[in-house]
Amino acid sequence: MLRIDHLYKNYGKFQAVSDLSLHIPQGDLFGFVGPNGAGKTTTIRMVCGLMKPSAGAISINGMDALAHRKDIKRQIGYVPDFFGVYDNLKVKEYMDFYGSMYRMGSKEIEKIADDLLELVNLSDKKEVFVDTLSRGMKQRLCVARALIHNPALLILDEPNSGLDPRARVEMKELLLNLQSMGKTIVISSHILSELSEMCTSIGIMDRGRLVAAGRIEDIMEGVFGSNGLVITLEEGRETAVRIAKENPRVKLESVGEQEIRLSHTMTKQEVSKLIGEMIAKDVVVTGFHKQEGSLETLFMSVTGDGDARKGEKEDASEPHR
Amino acid sequence: MHLNPIVKKDVKVQSRSMKICWGIFAYELILALVFFLAMLVIQQNSIYSGGQNIYNAMVWLYPILAVTQLVILGIVVPVRTAASISGEKERQTFDIMMTTSMTPFSVILGKVMTAIVQSMFYVVAGMPIMALPFIIGGMSWSSLFWFLGVALLVSVFSASIGILCSSICRKSISAVIMSYGIYLIFFLGTGLPYLIYQLVIAANNSYGYVQSGSGDNLLLLLLLNPAVYLLEFFAEVMIGESVAASMLGTMSSTQPGGLVRLAASEGRWLIISTVVFLAVIFLFLWLAARRIDPVRQHRRRQSMKSKA
Repeated sequence: MLRIDHLYKNYGKFQAVSDLSLHIPQGDLFGFVGPNGAGKTTTIRMVCGLMKPSAGAISINGMDALAHRKDIKRQIGYVPDFFGVYDNLKVKEYMDFYGSMYRMGSKEIEKIADDLLELVNLSDKKEVFVDTLSRGMKQRLCVARALIHNPALLILDEPNSGLDPRARVEMKELLLNLQSMGKTIVISSHILSELSEMCTSIGIMDRGRLVAAGRIEDIMEGVFGSNGLVITLEEGRETAVRIAKENPRVKLESVGEQEIRLSHTMTKQEVSKLIGEMIAKDVVVTGFHKQEGSLETLFMSVTGDGDARKGEKEDASEPHR
Repeated sequence: MHLNPIVKKDVKVQSRSMKICWGIFAYELILALVFFLAMLVIQQNSIYSGGQNIYNAMVWLYPILAVTQLVILGIVVPVRTAASISGEKERQTFDIMMTTSMTPFSVILGKVMTAIVQSMFYVVAGMPIMALPFIIGGMSWSSLFWFLGVALLVSVFSASIGILCSSICRKSISAVIMSYGIYLIFFLGTGLPYLIYQLVIAANNSYGYVQSGSGDNLLLLLLLNPAVYLLEFFAEVMIGESVAASMLGTMSSTQPGGLVRLAASEGRWLIISTVVFLAVIFLFLWLAARRIDPVRQHRRRQSMKSKA
């Protein structure tokens, strides 16, 4: 669906985006993650045709985004991070305005707008002036507006910033709903927990570079290299530690009062065998579970130490914002 | 026919605001005040000139009211258009607009057409007052339609200046100031060089120096002078003579040639000047469209930075 090849964006000597290559398949819900100034918005703006890349290529459905700007615009629905409104414009007129910008007929717009407003749960607000809507409603309306011409690719830049928890949940449900309809969605955010809950794959950007991309599980596997295991026990801690240390495919991470954390490259059967061995040697094992890596830990390990980067972030602030 | 969506939306949105009602009210009020003031002056003149027929003098209400309206349009339209693109940027709706199928030129055209529609609201609202000299007699009704044409040209010209400045400036207020600056250049910048040249010739002649060379190229600048254009228009309508032709004959010490000669011939100045103004309007709109095109804009910025 969306293919980016060796994309660069330079502002003088400063590289906002550097050698970014990415492929997002049809129907994917892709999360763009990165700290402020990482180059997420710059990348999104280049994909949407709001900025020309310094080098590289962007193609959507095999069509070059720069060579076929007009056709590409029909395939993209863009939701910016800020919702600007026109005073004295009703919700249905707002939809009509943007529909007619795609040269759609009034009847066609009316029909599609009705469906979209129902989808975003704003059917009862058709006659309401846009500037009186709550921020969450405005954001949902903005999504409906971006879908008026039935684009294949929906791009949302920080759609949840400034929304209350309820509005965030509603937005998440809406995006999952759209994904189930077959839309390809690209969403940029730094609210990692939300992205990990809904995205099928992610791309982590840092200082203009894409440092990791793919399915969250695959990236975690690649970054952490092994699986984590947490064993909780009542008695026999020393014995359990000795058994773990004797196994060449196990690395002891930490030993607590009633808990041992280890990383390993064992199969499921080998894990059961290890636990069984401990029990056989009078270790009272009360439980064990796989240690899940969070998107936050993944993000921190991929992008490095936050404090060390503070100064760099200031330099890396995107000039167009 | 597919109406430009920006015109449709902007006219609808602005019509709902009380601003337009107050604007028309102020416009009518100014016209009424000018009308009564002009009537008072005509009456006083009639008394002091020994009972001259007042109705003969009333035809002069036409240029007085027309100029008043054109001045108002010249002031109001740039303000409206100067805030159009920069206003979209300030509202942060501009990016969304540029991701739609609308081309930069159709966005610019939409904004200009909105300004024209608005200015025509004013002109049409002023028609009853404007029609008074025609009711009394002495003027042909075609003059009224010619005035509408000139008002349209003034609106489009003012709007093109405003929209260009709006595409250049980030803030609306800067765009408005810049618009008036450009206006001033057209009014003074195109007239002053020729005026200074003529004063120098006049001074030299009085001291007995023989002037060599001609100011024909400076004369061409006058084709872009709105004041000369309006003067020519009213002279043609009121007295059926070309002021420009007679001015060229008396002011130029040399025989004008080429375009100047063509422009100086009876009745042609207005046509050539209109064409020149239309070319300038198109140039401004084209430049504005280039300015708002995000891809071209960034290419230019980038090349400037790489040069630096």
